[in-house]
Amino acid sequence: MLKLFKIISDAGEATHKYPFAPYPVSPGFRGKPQLEANQCIACAACVIACPANALTMSTDTEANERNWELNLGRCIFCGRCEEVCPTKAIALTPEFELAVGNKADLLQKATFRLAHCVDCGTPFAPAKEVEYVMDLLVQSGIQVDDAQRAHLATCPECKRKQTVFRDDQSQHMSTEIEK
Amino acid sequence: MNGPAHGSNLIVPRDANGMPVPLTESEEIAKLKGALLKDIQRSAYVYRVDCGGCNGCEIEIFAAITPVFDAERFGIKVVASPRHADILLFTGAVTRAMRMPALRAYQAAPDPKITVSYGACGCSGGIFHDLYCVWGGTDKVVPVDVYIPGCPPTPPATIYGFAMALGLLGQKLHASHHVEGEGERAVVAHPQVPLDIRVEIEREARRLAGYRSGKLIADEFMHVLTEESAAALSLDERVKRFLSGNDDPRKEEIITRLWDVSLQGATV
Repeated sequence: MLKLFKIISDAGEATHKYPFAPYPVSPGFRGKPQLEANQCIACAACVIACPANALTMSTDTEANERNWELNLGRCIFCGRCEEVCPTKAIALTPEFELAVGNKADLLQKATFRLAHCVDCGTPFAPAKEVEYVMDLLVQSGIQVDDAQRAHLATCPECKRKQTVFRDDQSQHMSTEIEK
Repeated sequence: MNGPAHGSNLIVPRDANGMPVPLTESEEIAKLKGALLKDIQRSAYVYRVDCGGCNGCEIEIFAAITPVFDAERFGIKVVASPRHADILLFTGAVTRAMRMPALRAYQAAPDPKITVSYGACGCSGGIFHDLYCVWGGTDKVVPVDVYIPGCPPTPPATIYGFAMALGLLGQKLHASHHVEGEGERAVVAHPQVPLDIRVEIEREARRLAGYRSGKLIADEFMHVLTEESAAALSLDERVKRFLSGNDDPRKEEIITRLWDVSLQGATV
């Protein structure tokens, strides 16, 4: 009998104390994806990458907003969103205590504003994305002047029109027309 | 026993289009459930209903009752019949074929019973949510008390979910909604590193170490290059110092390669 107790005490306790003590997750554990919304440019790279469609995005031009939504009930914690995020806005945390009683608590949302075209006024991209592109141009050593800023803040449709107009003025086009 | 016409308790309510709607819980039973949770003086028996899952969830449930996590120290015991169950654990996205067996298991369990939806598939259909042959979640069939997300949920997450179902622990996760504030701006990472070199470094790191680790290593490397605390050192010295403190030969190889790439990028 004493021998048995000795074996038991030598073996120690294998059971985790978990609910009574915090559970240390292993390094690289993929828990709840957390969006750092300040850093997010609403580019939807994560939405395209998400294999389970847990991440969705919708654009409401009437309300001038783009809505990002993460349904943790659908998330498979693969980390693809973290991999593709160009601004490191979303990352998987070690948080694993995600059980809820109310399904609506599984939804994590974020709303971003849209940028309007300087020419025609239609919303065409998230405002933060346009700003981020300008910052990237500055980082790559390009001097961004007012004309370039205006060009970046123009929607693709108006850019096309402007290009046609500019080409129309050019020597090449006018000689073509004269023929 | 397999026919749906067996017994009137399997005739479920339908909506105007003839589509079955989830079962609902009467107020009386909800009250009974509250009383059960308050004065439960015995073990809580769990019956596991597999509604067409991939068995990943089952493996984690059984991991949760092994000695390492030992759900049985809280009296949580997996039983073989819904007749014995206090808690019904639904896994899987509820395929068309498994809807009726799931309903039968639900009807067979004595009231008051606690229903737990387990795993991403149980919570909302998970990765199978838009398949033609699934109902997309336990709550499309039966009323659910607790949702445990995860693909699959780890054993600690399972124990946490059970503790929540039994009313021992509170809910930690809540819905959040961020609205973009005025003047909110994303910060460009490593502004001191020229963009084309940054892109080259990230690309090479991802090529060598895989997408996720590559991103982390490239980040670490660029942090070493631009560290302000080491302003007195030359870039070469910084990389050497970083490598001397690193004991992973694979990482050393990658960092050396990244240093080559950034030198090439700087000279072009």
